[in-house]
Amino acid sequence: MDDCIVIKNLNKFYGKKQALYDVNLRIEKGMFGLLGRNGAGKTTLMKTLVTLLQKKSGEITVCGVPIENEKEIRKIIGYLPQEFSMYPTMNVYEAMDYLAILSGLGKSERKERIEMLLSQVNLAENKNKKVKALSGGMKRRLGIAQALLGNPKVLIVDEPTAGLDPEERIRFRNLLSEIAEERIVILSTHIVGDIEATCENIGILDKGKVLYSGTVDRLLTAAAGKVFTRTVSRQELSHLKKELLITEMHTQGKQVYIRYVAENAADGSVPCEPNIEDAYMLYLKENGTELTGLSKGEIGGEG
Amino acid sequence: MLYLRELKKVMFSFSYILFVIIAVFALFSQGVLDFADNIISEPVAGGNYGAKREEIPEVIMPAALQSLYIEFQENNYKCYPVGFLKNVKLNDEEQMRIAEIIADITGMDVDEIYRTQGAVRSNGNDVFFGVSDNKNLSYAAFQERMQEVDDILGGGSSYAKEALIGFGTVSVSYEDACTAYGLATGQDQITGGYARLFSDYAVAMVFAIFPVFLAVIISMKDHHAKMSELIYTRKAPGIRIVGMRYLAVLTAVMIPAVILSYVSNAAVWGMYQGMELDYFAPLKYDFGWIMPTAMMSIAVGMFFTELTNTPIAIAVQGIWWFIDLNVGMRSVSAAYSLMRLAPRHNADSSSYFRTQDFIDNFSNLVCNRLLFTAFSILLVAAAAVAFEAKRKGKINGNHEIKRIFAGIKNRRD
Repeated sequence: MDDCIVIKNLNKFYGKKQALYDVNLRIEKGMFGLLGRNGAGKTTLMKTLVTLLQKKSGEITVCGVPIENEKEIRKIIGYLPQEFSMYPTMNVYEAMDYLAILSGLGKSERKERIEMLLSQVNLAENKNKKVKALSGGMKRRLGIAQALLGNPKVLIVDEPTAGLDPEERIRFRNLLSEIAEERIVILSTHIVGDIEATCENIGILDKGKVLYSGTVDRLLTAAAGKVFTRTVSRQELSHLKKELLITEMHTQGKQVYIRYVAENAADGSVPCEPNIEDAYMLYLKENGTELTGLSKGEIGGEG
Repeated sequence: MLYLRELKKVMFSFSYILFVIIAVFALFSQGVLDFADNIISEPVAGGNYGAKREEIPEVIMPAALQSLYIEFQENNYKCYPVGFLKNVKLNDEEQMRIAEIIADITGMDVDEIYRTQGAVRSNGNDVFFGVSDNKNLSYAAFQERMQEVDDILGGGSSYAKEALIGFGTVSVSYEDACTAYGLATGQDQITGGYARLFSDYAVAMVFAIFPVFLAVIISMKDHHAKMSELIYTRKAPGIRIVGMRYLAVLTAVMIPAVILSYVSNAAVWGMYQGMELDYFAPLKYDFGWIMPTAMMSIAVGMFFTELTNTPIAIAVQGIWWFIDLNVGMRSVSAAYSLMRLAPRHNADSSSYFRTQDFIDNFSNLVCNRLLFTAFSILLVAAAAVAFEAKRKGKINGNHEIKRIFAGIKNRRD
């Protein structure tokens, strides 16, 4: 059985509205980041992969299993949805046990696996705590634990770090990286920092189309020599905002430090190493995506 | 194991505790948890043994005619087309036809019928005519004419063929009372009568309606707790998930039914010392009489909630229950009819539990209960199909309903 996900010419409609256009992706073992703005189609693609949505056309195979074979797919996929929660009145262990039963695990296997997973996500001491009493970060870690109950070959996590504080976010990324050592992990996010810290391979999705699929390094290489920094006055800034694709700015007294992406450097600019955010913005721009009014906060402020 | 988890989920929920409180309160308020004042004793010659309804044409025909004439005079006919009281007022042409029917039965002229209007008091004491001797009207012919009256009134009147027995009220004789007592102590072994009376109230007041709330709340819990997607992506088939939930809710609902039926029944055991009692009677009625109704109420709740993601099932079951309750017990056969959500047998010790009526209609009851059981299982299977369709994104609950309504609105615009 292949250890990869193959998506060929995938199309998905909601009524008459097309949500995915001829999506082609090959996702190998390890962490794969799916990057895109809100509404880019990431969640639709994730839900299609976990059999929660029906495709209109195209082919998907998950570790050699066609997506139409939902029963088998459910056995090999673990899923952490974007809006994750559990029955609030159950305690952590009970909630895990309930989902483990639905995953078809036997009594002794359940006990062993739940305890192992809770300790892996650092929740062993909280197993008797009610779900409603968990913090946001703890809930997400519980989310990962429940997704791993069936020891899946593929783990799909949809926007898992949104709303987490920086410490929890780092802990969560590290956890995902650990898990990805032995399986495919697809991390869907609009937070560039999550991808930067964890993924070697990424896909960029915009308006339902795959704009890029490949390594992070290749994406960064494409942006090399096109990222600059400069310090400008506040008066200049409003003018420059219209001309340049600014990816970062912060005020230093009466001056403003900006980082921007362009083919050529403007006067007084200093070239710098591109990061994923720069490369991502450049890629969107070069592919004709409308970036008017886009600011750093919208593409990856939480990263 | 899934069953036990689901059962725990139901029984430790606030909605279940509320359900139990409502069940206790509703049954306590109807006096069916304490039958201490409702004791049967052997009939004594010369006593009053109450009344009963019997299909005796000589009794029914004049009583029905009298009632019809009074309503004709006032042009105000009481009907229950779907269980609710409806005062029907006829037009001149229809009134004329009613007058013709009365004339036909009594042998009087239509003019005479109209002329006597106002001469008869509404309590009917002064009705001075009866079925014409000359016409030698058979009971079947009388029934036909009364059925025509019912048709003119739009149905649901006391003159419908099956409702005419309501006019057949006769006193119970000593011999009949002795027979009834014999059946209550023999066939019912006393406790059967009490169990039946408990079931009559329990089904109508509690188990035909309140389990639907529980089923809806439990079914919507996944959605509210944002658990749906976690459950949908598991290996377990929909029929197992929905089926176990159904069994869990049914078990939770039946636990208070069994406990309360024994609380009610056991209270009278001490009063019949030395007599042969059936200690399993409450259990028989709990599972034979109450459970199919509870099954239906829960199945309706689960099916419509799975299909729509809305609490619409409460409205569906509520309307059905309300109509069924208002159909009441206009005739013994109607109380046991095939489609009764809550079969009725409201007979206490004063009528010796009317065991004979129960025996006479037992086959109807069995058919009704089997039909409800089968239909409930079908609804649960349909709920599992809806669950599977939702987990594959083929349907999307209330989004589909919104889309339908939007389509209707657009077409209207």
